[in-house]
Amino acid sequence: MSTAPCFDEIIHAPNRLQICAILSAVDSAEFATVRESLGVADSVLSKHIRVLHEASYIEVHKATCASRVRTSLSLTEAGRAAYDGHVAALRSIVGNGGYRGSSRRRGAPAE
Amino acid sequence: MASDENRDGAAAAEIAPDEAASAISAICGSRSWPADQIIAPGWYHLSLGLLAGGAIAEAEMHSWVLFAWSVAGYTVACGALMWMNQRRAGVAMKYFDARTRAIFAGHVLTLSTLIAIACWLDLDRGTRGAFLAAGVLAIPLTVAFGRWTDKLLRARLHAGQ
Repeated sequence: MSTAPCFDEIIHAPNRLQICAILSAVDSAEFATVRESLGVADSVLSKHIRVLHEASYIEVHKATCASRVRTSLSLTEAGRAAYDGHVAALRSIVGNGGYRGSSRRRGAPAE
Repeated sequence: MASDENRDGAAAAEIAPDEAASAISAICGSRSWPADQIIAPGWYHLSLGLLAGGAIAEAEMHSWVLFAWSVAGYTVACGALMWMNQRRAGVAMKYFDARTRAIFAGHVLTLSTLIAIACWLDLDRGTRGAFLAAGVLAIPLTVAFGRWTDKLLRARLHAGQ
């Protein structure tokens, strides 16, 4: 089953694209694992997570284990659909030799 | 990070194929990290093998009480090992799809066959050491099936499925 291409500005930011790519392959990943994978600071990852969370693309779960809070991240259904659509759009850009003008931001009011 | 913020405001009016290609390449790179993480360390499958082998070999003692304890210990220890491995990897994923389920079924079937043969040799033929031999054989078999599953999981993560 193919996904309709839909360029997503929120996801296209390099770090957010990588976050979505990691989370798309698993059910959930721990904050520290994603941070290590991206090679960024806690604050940088937190900022990107907040943007994705505000767009309802990821869920943040906090669990306390041995008096330590463990934060895990997972893609929502909307996030998975947006990511799949964005990847399809990127593939179509590569295939068609370019992309002009018709991008839209998922979740934003229609212009 | 500045580039990320600039993109937020931009309308992505024009995306060049090169930029899209590099984004796809970054996606592939990102997937390879959890794919490498999901590979269990050597001690993991060996420990599972030793637990399975120990539980089978213990039947050589012909003690139902010991057998019950070993099955309970095997179950708890396997659960603890799996939990530890998941904590180590830092990712949770669905382990079972059609292929990994088939491997798991093959593993269970192989161990069941080993146990059945050991039961026949020991209880019917009176051959001493049958359960011990079955237990020893269970160790490399468990390691092999575990590594096979890891290989499929890794390929699945790389493919982004």
